[in-house]
Amino acid sequence: MNQHTVKMRELARELLSSGQVSLVLGWEKGNLWYKSPPVFISRVEDVEKLIFDEFCHNNLAKYLMDLVHHSGKIAVFVKGCDSRAINRLLQDNQIKREKLYIIGVPCPGLKDPDDAVGKKQGAEVKNSAKCATCSYPNPVVYDALLWETVPVNTTKAPVEELIAKLDSMTPDERYAYWTEQFSRCIRCFACRNVCPACNCRECCFDQAEPDWLGKANNLSENQFMQMTRAMHVAGRCIECGECERVCPMNIPLMAINKKVARDIAELFGECAAGLDLEKRPPLGHFDLNDPEKFM
Amino acid sequence: MSIEAVKADKAASQENWEPKILVFACNWCTYAGADLAGLSRLQYPPNVRILRVPCSGRVNPQFVIRAFQKGIDGVLVAGCHPGDCHYATGNYFTRRRYLVMQRLLEFMGMDPARFQARWISGSEGPKFQQVVTQLTQDIKALGPNRKLRDME
Amino acid sequence: MKRVGVFICHCGTNIAHTVDCEKVAKTAAEFPHVVFSTDYKYMCSEPGQMVIKNAIKEHKLDRIVVASCSPRMHEPTFRKCMESAGLNPYLMEMANIREHCSWVHPDKEKGTEKAIDLVKMAVAKVVKNTPLTRSSIPIHKRALVIGGGIAGIQAALDIADAGYVVDIVEKEPSIGGRMAQVDKTFPTLDCSACILTPKMVDAAQHPNINLVTYSEIEKVEGYVGNFEVTIRHKARSVDVSKCTGCGTCWEKCPTKVASEFELGLGTRKAIYTPFPQAVPNKPVIDRDNCRYFKTGKCMVCQKLCPTGAVDYTQEDQLETIRYGAIVVATGFDLFDHSVYGEYGYGKYPDVITGLQFERLINASGPTAGKIKRPSDHKEPKTIVFIKCVGSRDEAKGKPYCSKTCCMYTAKHATLVKEKIKDSQAIVFYMDVRTPGKNYEEFYQRAVDEYGVQYVRGRVSKIYQKGDKLIVKGEDTLLGKQVEVEADMVVLATAMVARSDAGDLARKVGFSYDQHDFFTEAHPKLRPVETHTAGVYLAGACQGPKDIPDSVSQASAAAAKVCGLLSKNEMATEPIISAVNESICSGCGLCISICPYKAIDLKTITERVHGKMLERQVAAVNSGLCQGCGACTVACRSSALNLRGFTNEQILAEVDALCL
Repeated sequence: MNQHTVKMRELARELLSSGQVSLVLGWEKGNLWYKSPPVFISRVEDVEKLIFDEFCHNNLAKYLMDLVHHSGKIAVFVKGCDSRAINRLLQDNQIKREKLYIIGVPCPGLKDPDDAVGKKQGAEVKNSAKCATCSYPNPVVYDALLWETVPVNTTKAPVEELIAKLDSMTPDERYAYWTEQFSRCIRCFACRNVCPACNCRECCFDQAEPDWLGKANNLSENQFMQMTRAMHVAGRCIECGECERVCPMNIPLMAINKKVARDIAELFGECAAGLDLEKRPPLGHFDLNDPEKFM
Repeated sequence: MSIEAVKADKAASQENWEPKILVFACNWCTYAGADLAGLSRLQYPPNVRILRVPCSGRVNPQFVIRAFQKGIDGVLVAGCHPGDCHYATGNYFTRRRYLVMQRLLEFMGMDPARFQARWISGSEGPKFQQVVTQLTQDIKALGPNRKLRDME
Repeated sequence: MKRVGVFICHCGTNIAHTVDCEKVAKTAAEFPHVVFSTDYKYMCSEPGQMVIKNAIKEHKLDRIVVASCSPRMHEPTFRKCMESAGLNPYLMEMANIREHCSWVHPDKEKGTEKAIDLVKMAVAKVVKNTPLTRSSIPIHKRALVIGGGIAGIQAALDIADAGYVVDIVEKEPSIGGRMAQVDKTFPTLDCSACILTPKMVDAAQHPNINLVTYSEIEKVEGYVGNFEVTIRHKARSVDVSKCTGCGTCWEKCPTKVASEFELGLGTRKAIYTPFPQAVPNKPVIDRDNCRYFKTGKCMVCQKLCPTGAVDYTQEDQLETIRYGAIVVATGFDLFDHSVYGEYGYGKYPDVITGLQFERLINASGPTAGKIKRPSDHKEPKTIVFIKCVGSRDEAKGKPYCSKTCCMYTAKHATLVKEKIKDSQAIVFYMDVRTPGKNYEEFYQRAVDEYGVQYVRGRVSKIYQKGDKLIVKGEDTLLGKQVEVEADMVVLATAMVARSDAGDLARKVGFSYDQHDFFTEAHPKLRPVETHTAGVYLAGACQGPKDIPDSVSQASAAAAKVCGLLSKNEMATEPIISAVNESICSGCGLCISICPYKAIDLKTITERVHGKMLERQVAAVNSGLCQGCGACTVACRSSALNLRGFTNEQILAEVDALCL
């Protein structure tokens, strides 16, 4: 058992037994050695289930949305990306800070479970793609920080290379690339369901009136869906990379999100989401001197 | 109809192809500017159809994508100049939204000329004429839009 | 099943000339939900409207499309027509086939094709229309005038005379404004104070007027009929209820500072009224300069005050008052001419502004009305006037004409010739603009009777030589250089917006132009209204104006205010945003986008699995919402929708056009 896990269990036990919280959200070891799914713990004896390892991918913040009416305080473990999701949900008025006990876990970067499939436990596994792009491995909001912060990874991420490659293409080549990607979409909405910025009560894609999204699963509707989603999370995406991780068809969704985030920073100044609660989303305010090239 | 006939028909329709262009015009500036173009008898290509909205800030980017889906060849979103918005600040949000939207469309492989945004005031009848004439020319040069389109 | 009627107007030949109206009507008859379609020569005419009304009755139409001119022209006409036919006026849509079609497309075939498309879009939209009803909001019968210059005073007097309570909020210790600084007024040369001070006294004594001086606007909330205005009463350090205005304090105060009212040409004390005829005639203490506030010692004024009115412990007070209407009359500032190197960057003491000159010739001014130049108090014999300093100069100043300078420069030159018999008055000008009653005559008199010399041309340089100012310029009419040895130079500096004009506009919530002048709702037809209902403009805060113009606009604004306050309630447009609470997640992004602060979060209780649970949703204030629809785009889940321009309606139009 690693030291991280020990510390997690210690704090969880203390919080539950003292009655400070009535529920703890963490990760447990799943059936497979390369899976660490979420676990909800309300009894002290269950804290032994908690673990922290290189496969704790799930962003636990989104689960808080299902617990808004939970009586009592909830303790939640957050990695850097998850903590930005907490800020996203706080800013979107979806959860209440005073009902949370946030436990920060500086994240050393996780491993790619897909690469572990078929391998023996302990075998060499590739780093997870979403962690390679991470600029905020250390939690930005917490009540307790479980261990020392980790250095920020500065290597150039594959997604940046993809964006650069796409940028250098002709419009038709780019269109062909995305056509290839979006035609694989099976409209499972996993990307939306996992996304902390997609926190509407009723998604516009599910509405019959107005009929934003047709029921036919074809390329055009998929394009509509993904472009609309990009606009809806524009300036609000906290770049946790969960959408791309959960996509069963491996559509490079983070290339879109990163590109939009970069455009917004270029146009309106640096405004990474989920860092500062006081900073309103960039499409929710304006500056008189905003650029207006192309207008 | 024989396959040859269909082909001939298609060729003919391509030859006579005229773009359809949708203009979202805010009621207070651009719509009034288009009215003024009418009053001044300023001719422009008949390819343009104006959809009246109270403010350019009312134009949801989803309307634009929808129009491309359903087969429009070009879209213009137009409103009051910065500082002149009838609703004080609507056009500043328009500016932010569509700066982002324009880049997204480009990233998705759309030709940037197919989606444009302009400030046209109620007194700028000639500017309205000039903008939609230029837009129509741009889109004619590009040919029919096949991207994002719902081919049924 | 919806029953749509379509009515195609020929507009005489305006439309029919380039659009085949009959064909449009025939084609429209085939559109979904259309049960009746016709064309007529003049739809807006009495018989045209009868065609509509009869068809509604005969064909049991429940909604209609009128294809004619711009809805900006006849939407109200056809809405009324709907009402008189017993239908909801908002079940009507217009297709603009005149301005947007027949007048701009000479090709009849193409024009007809486009007209059909426009009608198709309108039909698709009207099918999604729902009946809308106007509601009403109460009007609070009290007015606020911001600014106590001549415009504010006039507006307040007119409103008060009509029987409504009105408060004048003035940031200076006295009302009077710029007109109080002026000596004589053109074109009659009557004394400014003689005509202004009675008005100031009238305002002070009017039972319906409250003077709220030395106060500023802190915050404005609410909407037409119901503005909640927070006023900051700045600490005067003098209890006005005790003060009699006897003047002992300011006579004995040991601290002298440059007077703002005298534009630096004279002094005042640290406890002061800005000028002798101040209304109210009660002093304030300038805490930045007062010896007591700086050193803790002195207290001369408090010791000598016979009524014990001096109170060093006073603090700023905030007061919130409800108003039905607001008149903004905050006036102007002068352009800072120190940007002009050719006029000495504002460094020569004898190069002054026109307003400073007003103080020099004013009998109650620092020189008791004797023209003495600031540097050595000698009487100047040669005075050069330069017009358009900062006006009509896009490079360094303002592109606009300040409108008043031609006249006051003619006035100044006349007064110089009157007061100093052996003097020379030379005016450098670009143009002489004298539109206004008796204005041109006045200017001609200055030239013909008083012998004022007008030189057409710009001044290229002024420099000091001994005790003279050498003014170099070009006479463009004669095409030669001129050089004048002047004793004093008076610059007709541009009128500019107050430096804090933008702040005030944002606080109250109306728009302003690139020069920070306040923007009227329409330059010709709504010149005193702003785009914000219930907020009106008067005087030079809207653009350069002379006294007659300011007073006229003030009375016009007052008439608008009285019209509003005469009603107990007013109808509101039903085209506003509405929240679908079952969908709204209460994220609040709409709140920051709304320019009218019309959206708030409210808590609702709902039953979920047998339990009563609370959650927050957006709520639109129907009195504040103006129907721009910006919030609807911010709302990702379409919980917010704009009535009259719903997502469903716009999508239907888009689809109808494309398919």
